[in-house]
Amino acid sequence: MLEISLPPRAQARRAGTAADGDDDDDVDMGGAGDRQLVTPGETITTDPAFMRGHGTFTHEQALVASVAGVVERVNKLVSVRPLKSRYNGEIGDVVVGRITELGPKRWKVDIKGRQDAVLLLSSINLPGGVQRRKSESDELQMRSFFAEGDLVSAEVQSFFQDGGASLQTRNIKYGKLRNGSLVMVHSAQIKRSKSHFIVLSCGVDVVLGVNGYVWVSKHVPITPEMESDPEGLYSNQNEPMTESERETIARVCNVIAALGRQNCEIHESAIVYAYDASLDYAVKELLKVPVQEAIVSQASALLRQAATQ
Amino acid sequence: MVRETEPSNNEREFVSKAVAEGLRVDGRAHNSVRSIKIVLGPELGYAQVQLGKTRVMASVSCEIVRPSAGNPTDGVLHFNTEFSPMASPAFEFDRISEEEVMVSRMLEKALRRARAVDTEGLCIVAGEKVWAIRVDTRVLDHEGNLLDCACMAAMCALLHFRRPDVTVIGEDVTIHTAEEKNPIALSVHHIPVCVTFACFNDGEHQVVDPLLLEEQVMDGSMTFVVNIHRELCTLSKAGGTPVSPDQVMLCASIAAVKSAEITQLIRQAVAEDAKKRQTDKK
Repeated sequence: MLEISLPPRAQARRAGTAADGDDDDDVDMGGAGDRQLVTPGETITTDPAFMRGHGTFTHEQALVASVAGVVERVNKLVSVRPLKSRYNGEIGDVVVGRITELGPKRWKVDIKGRQDAVLLLSSINLPGGVQRRKSESDELQMRSFFAEGDLVSAEVQSFFQDGGASLQTRNIKYGKLRNGSLVMVHSAQIKRSKSHFIVLSCGVDVVLGVNGYVWVSKHVPITPEMESDPEGLYSNQNEPMTESERETIARVCNVIAALGRQNCEIHESAIVYAYDASLDYAVKELLKVPVQEAIVSQASALLRQAATQ
Repeated sequence: MVRETEPSNNEREFVSKAVAEGLRVDGRAHNSVRSIKIVLGPELGYAQVQLGKTRVMASVSCEIVRPSAGNPTDGVLHFNTEFSPMASPAFEFDRISEEEVMVSRMLEKALRRARAVDTEGLCIVAGEKVWAIRVDTRVLDHEGNLLDCACMAAMCALLHFRRPDVTVIGEDVTIHTAEEKNPIALSVHHIPVCVTFACFNDGEHQVVDPLLLEEQVMDGSMTFVVNIHRELCTLSKAGGTPVSPDQVMLCASIAAVKSAEITQLIRQAVAEDAKKRQTDKK
């Protein structure tokens, strides 16, 4: 028989609340930093005054959690934010996606969300300048821009009624991705930050898609001429690369995969520290779990140090 | 609502090229099957089979029903397959996918048409009472080759199952409980084993026991249902790239070899479980 019990800290808290004789039996909305973790099926409160939000349902006069996560309360609305869920976009997110199919004046892009996102023909930069008018022939040669299987970086512009995201690549920094390799981690490990386009000192560019797709590529400096270059924007040719450049890209990929595996938050400093720690090992060895654990623990120690300073 | 991520163009090319060079993405040879783990019990008629990371469970139950007018002396054998969303994001609750229909029909063909279980032995009173055996297979994890795994699970469950003993005196039918009399095993004629091949590079190469990634990339597939006596019960090739007759014959012989190995594993697992039950009783 399985027995599931609360961790000791939560039990003590519960006992404390009961002793107070509060009206809200189980809701402990204590001070900052005191988060209540719930599992599916756990009663959050029996107080009928609270309204149920996402992640909760009513069962026999009590508010019960339907996902595993943190309880959030806004006035009378109680909801549970899940610890791990599919990527839920927000306007302004930088995402990396793969084109899955072509539709009328649009592309469908897989961003590992609940639905494929949409990239409208009107949301991309057409070669030959921003002000160019869209023509019939543009729609007929959509595959010359993005074909199925291509990787793109884009920004979430808006949402449709049904929750599907609409993407745009109207900036020169977005668009078709080349010269590199994709790493897939969980979207929860990539937090929204100021910059998702990282340039590492080893000559490698990293695009951190908030949806969990990370693109690691050879550093190619962006020049303003590229915008008007018809061939360059949507070319399918990779730049020539040396063996050592490939190895560096592979190393960064493995480092990010290691961070992903150890459930670490992935941002610029984490990648830099972990990369430095990985230089002691050969690139292939970074695929072994003990090596991954070693690098990540070293990196997190450095991060903690940097945070306290 | 949530669809499975399709493999990228690079992955497709890699898998196809690797197969052409005699390699597979998980390091297996073309003709090797993944490791099989069989768990039986604790209830009679329950089996869970793991084929690599693919996991399928099967459960057998019985009840007494009136036989159909066409076959008054035959018992009823009913198969039910369920693809639950916990197995893969591609499976939706309440929506029957094409793959589910294929697996379910192949399972019926392999086990019912091949006459693995003797239905005449399930008769109690001709025309009035027969045993109806129900086999429920449920897919728990999908990592490729659900059909082979489901077939193994169903066969293990059928071999493991014991129905209550029945005494018929004239018109009186007494069903004995497990305490009164030991329940009896089903009469299984032979053990049909499914062996699935995935075809790559326009039918030039065939690999046994495809992974999920290989299934997504393959050009076609073939399933052979063979038993240990090298009898071919069923051959299924539903669409896909054409395969030459030589290759079909070659695959048939490979399937026969694999089937013998798998049958040995099944028999061993069932025998070990029977021995454990004996010692537990004492």
